[in-house]
Amino acid sequence: MNSVFSNKTAITIFVLPTLLIFCGIVLVPIFVSSYYSLLDWNGVGKGTFVGLNNYAEMFNDPRVLNSIKNSLLFAAASIFIQLPLSLLLALILASNVKGEGFYRTVYFIPVLISTVVIAQLWSKIYNADYGLLNSLLESIGLSHLAQDWLGQKHTALVASFIPTLWQYVGYHMLLMYAGAKSISNDIIEAAKIDGASRIRTVFSITLPLMRPILKVCLIFSVIGAFKVFDLIYVLTNGGPFFTTEVPSTLMYTTIFDTYRYGYGSAISVFIILECLVFTVIINKYFKTE
Amino acid sequence: MKALLKNTMVIILALGLTGSITACSSGSSEATQQEGSGSIKLTLWDQSVGNTDPSAKLLPQIIEKWNSEHPDIQVERTGTTGEQYKTKIKTSIAAGEAPDIFYGMGGGSFMQPYIKSGNVLEITSYLKNDIKAKMAPGMSEAIETDGKIYTLPVYTHIANLYVNTELFDKAGAKIPTTYSELLDAVEKLKTAGITPALIGEKDRWPGMYWYDIIAMRQAGNAAVLEAFKDSAKWDSPDFVAAATKMQQLAKAGAFNSSMFSMSYDEMLGAFNAGKGAMMFQANWVNAGIEDPSSAVKGKVKVIPFPIFEDGKGKNTEIFGGAVDGFYVSSNTKHPKEAVEFLMYLSEQLGTKGFLAGAGLPSWNTDGLDTSGLSTLDQSSANIMKTATSFIAWWDNILPADSAEAHKNLIAQLLAGDITPEEFCKQMAQLKPTELSL
Repeated sequence: MNSVFSNKTAITIFVLPTLLIFCGIVLVPIFVSSYYSLLDWNGVGKGTFVGLNNYAEMFNDPRVLNSIKNSLLFAAASIFIQLPLSLLLALILASNVKGEGFYRTVYFIPVLISTVVIAQLWSKIYNADYGLLNSLLESIGLSHLAQDWLGQKHTALVASFIPTLWQYVGYHMLLMYAGAKSISNDIIEAAKIDGASRIRTVFSITLPLMRPILKVCLIFSVIGAFKVFDLIYVLTNGGPFFTTEVPSTLMYTTIFDTYRYGYGSAISVFIILECLVFTVIINKYFKTE
Repeated sequence: MKALLKNTMVIILALGLTGSITACSSGSSEATQQEGSGSIKLTLWDQSVGNTDPSAKLLPQIIEKWNSEHPDIQVERTGTTGEQYKTKIKTSIAAGEAPDIFYGMGGGSFMQPYIKSGNVLEITSYLKNDIKAKMAPGMSEAIETDGKIYTLPVYTHIANLYVNTELFDKAGAKIPTTYSELLDAVEKLKTAGITPALIGEKDRWPGMYWYDIIAMRQAGNAAVLEAFKDSAKWDSPDFVAAATKMQQLAKAGAFNSSMFSMSYDEMLGAFNAGKGAMMFQANWVNAGIEDPSSAVKGKVKVIPFPIFEDGKGKNTEIFGGAVDGFYVSSNTKHPKEAVEFLMYLSEQLGTKGFLAGAGLPSWNTDGLDTSGLSTLDQSSANIMKTATSFIAWWDNILPADSAEAHKNLIAQLLAGDITPEEFCKQMAQLKPTELSL
């Protein structure tokens, strides 16, 4: 086996196909998009080279700034609500509770369902006329709280965060659960013998040993928040009045509804940069040995 | 190399974006494939796939008939639902991979960039006078762009007010013919606990229909056409008055409180379930209202939008008249055969579709048996006969980015976020139309 791994030809043969496909469908389009982002182009015909004008316009466009603000809020909600929730569930699940397999499956189901289906499901839950949420509020005597959740400026953003947070709780839970489970029982038992309580074990043993997996979850959930598209597109399409708009939905509208391929490409390049910068930051401040 | 890069990028964009969206409704796209031994294969893309869309049933029949009569020219059809269709066709034209024949939205800003950049085949020289003679009056002029012809008409669509007579009777309201009667009806319906009118403003164009007809009734079609060419004219007393009326209706509670989260499809569903008394839409909703599954079948009347006591518009000035049709790609390898099929398809679908209630005819219908048409279709056709002028959908007339701005401004107006004066000031900033009206 070692001879295979040290053989450069073998490595090339095995890696090349994947590398080529990866370049073709990931790297090349990124560079092409970066080139388009320097054009004033309607998608057909000839584009005019405008240099960095699209980027300059982006940072003066209140709609873009608002969408960036929303994606940052979204990332914050993922970090401070979704991940702690996943961690809590993972730790409970990993502590040999009854029906471990059952709960693991149940929490993972939303991850398997297509996001579009989930968005449809939640838009029915939120529906102002026949929605489950309003009916629930009415049945417990809180009918004054019933409202058009996705149609109002002050509720739409929070209402569209909840389904995504909910959808991926199971995913992060499973990663963390695997991390917690992989900690050797000997260490836990040694802590027990030393007289550590369960809480103390979690903070002194489990969490520090889960650092690598926690970092992965953090990166995934931040990048996921920056890239979110399908759920917002189906739930609100960025509305009402751009309150739920994120860079990816704005990119879509700009390219396909207003025919501004250049400007839309600039937004897409921004999304890539945003994800890269945050990945680097997280890696830097969350070092693992 | 550059073309390859461009193709790769565009295909990926299309796959990545549309792939996740098309999954949203079951049966949203279906394809009919015709196997044939013919030497020439033509591809056709359209957006008629809805369950209650009569064209969705007719298209396969027409193509099957053509294929059996022309063994050497076989047509293969792919249907995709509305919003996704737009993305799909835009992407494939940009990639230079458009099908031979495709459906295009009414001559306005949707097709304009493709006509300008030479992606659409000019068919003027293929058309003989006999085909023009088969069209309804005015149609051969309506499809011309700067004296050239790129498409043949299929249907015409016009927008009118749909009223649920049962709910009006229940509320003791009179079917409105003037603005003050409209306000009166809104109040009576509200008192009776009925939603007066439905707007699916999540998609933003249903709300645009309301403002556009109100502006046309207030200022008259001639003034609107002037303003399309010179945007500064949007900021004039007539349009301020129109915006004021629109906001007044919204404040009076004329529209469903859930409008900003309701999509166009949900709006149709709600109206067909009897959940709202009025809807301002084009006659493509007729088939759904008359469908056996509809709760309001036979209870709905279609009327011209009320006139305004202080307005310059008349009720013979019509919102609509847009001519939708199929286009031939300039990349096609068989232009002659494609145009031949285009002529066959347009006339067949235009006349048969009219009889099936898909839209008003763009073709001469003398001698056709129209007794099977629904009351809604007949009254729509009668309203169209009274027309003295037409203005098509404004988002098709304005350039694409101005159209987006127009729709967004109307949403803000509906929500009471901007005053009518501010609305008109911002309308005056829009780009003028690129079409020769």
